[in-house]
Amino acid sequence: MSIITLKGRVIVAGNCKGKALVTDKPITFLGGVNPKTGTLVERGHDLYGQKITDKILCFPHGHGSTVGSYVIYALKKHGLAPRAMITENADTVVTVGAIIAEIPMLDQVDIKQIKTGDIVEIRTVDDSALVKVLREKSQCI
Amino acid sequence: MYLTREEERILDGERGWAEQICMQILAKLGDLFGANQLIPIASAHISGVSYKTLGDAPIEFLKALTENNAKAKVNATLNPSSIGQMLFQNKFPKKFHARQKTILELFQKMHVKPVLTCTPYYIEKPALNAHLAWAESSAAIYANSVLKAWTNREGSPSALAAAIIGKTPDYGFHQAENRKATTLVKIEAKLRSEADYGALGILVGKKLQSGIPFFQGLKPLENDCLKQLGAALASTGNINMFHYGQMPKEEIEKMVITQKELEQTAKNLSTAGSETKPDLVFIGCPHCSLNEIKQIAQILNGQTINDSIRLWICTSRHIKQRAAPYIEAIQKTGASIITDTCAVVTWTHILGINTIMTNSAKTAYYAPTLNKAQTIFAPLEECLKTALQP
Repeated sequence: MSIITLKGRVIVAGNCKGKALVTDKPITFLGGVNPKTGTLVERGHDLYGQKITDKILCFPHGHGSTVGSYVIYALKKHGLAPRAMITENADTVVTVGAIIAEIPMLDQVDIKQIKTGDIVEIRTVDDSALVKVLREKSQCI
Repeated sequence: MYLTREEERILDGERGWAEQICMQILAKLGDLFGANQLIPIASAHISGVSYKTLGDAPIEFLKALTENNAKAKVNATLNPSSIGQMLFQNKFPKKFHARQKTILELFQKMHVKPVLTCTPYYIEKPALNAHLAWAESSAAIYANSVLKAWTNREGSPSALAAAIIGKTPDYGFHQAENRKATTLVKIEAKLRSEADYGALGILVGKKLQSGIPFFQGLKPLENDCLKQLGAALASTGNINMFHYGQMPKEEIEKMVITQKELEQTAKNLSTAGSETKPDLVFIGCPHCSLNEIKQIAQILNGQTINDSIRLWICTSRHIKQRAAPYIEAIQKTGASIITDTCAVVTWTHILGINTIMTNSAKTAYYAPTLNKAQTIFAPLEECLKTALQP
């Protein structure tokens, strides 16, 4: 087991732990994520067909219509939201979505250090966050 | 960001969940974008109304706000919906009509006025230098550039939050130093019609991506041309303001637009083959002004339009009422005056429309994806003549 610790800025506070789902592509919530299934449905996206539900969703930033914030809210109401969102740059769509859906969200995190399947633990204190990334040794080789 | 004691109390939830969540949105966006304070706004214009573009996503959040007694504190208006007055009765699946109605009712409960237009400035023109929170990119850029009011290009939720709090974070286009021109655009092309202004916007938006263009030698004949220019700039670029008139004093980077480039841009906005006839001729993106309605009545001049082509003139109820004599003359030609919606935000494909002819560069830019339609892009006069051809 290897452990990496990353720093970040708190957008919406909250401590949690879960499995990472990582992409280096922006996520478009309106039209790109189905709020009734929690599945990413944007064609050509590397997370196409994957469920974001209960994951620690790591992506650079949001993209597309500002109505995407409401999609994040609807995901939460249907019990299909990600457990937390970790981004590089907070954008308006995801920030507002995380606030209204009360989902922990960070930005200014070096998400390239996180891989899908890693166990990620988030601890927030005021404006700063610590992200602990736990990885099975076998994955590193 | 500094919050007053009153604002702090709202943030702590003393005035209920709705105001608390709205204050959280404004305070967090203010922090992210470097605002020092919240400032009062004169009005808010809210996008994200059409059920076609929204789907069911916002209904639950809007419902939660209304259940917690959220009410707009300032003049707040709504963008077009998916369903127009009259013409669209029972044309779409029942569910679409019902959901659109629900969305409008929820906004109305919050005292947001269902003007259902993208040109709220024709109803109530914002005062010079007034601070606004306007979503709808074509309205925001028009407010900044032509009306000289001050607004960021808001999103649907941030405009709604601003309406409910009556304030917006003080950053971006609310600060004079962020409103200066960044690129001098020299136009070596002839701008003969509103369509050319639109094509210019599409081209400069694409080339510039972001920033504030100053158009050198732009002689704005009509504000309607500037409306087309702004709507197009905001479609292809992250551009929320442009300048014209008095040259900027500072030295800024330069860009030249040639006749050839402009012609190529206009040509590319037509995706249909040259032999293709339109199913729909659509005028009114952004919604028509009184002046445009008058012009349309004059060009149609009492002739009858070809009954195999639909001619839609989209505007607000407000302009429709003010332009009554012209409206009557236009309707007699067989054209439809449509309020509350437009071709882009309704389901044209369900109405059997595959080819849209328009004088709007914004529509020509979006229709291939948002309407799955082919486009023919041409100036107003040519559009209307096509509709009149036997």
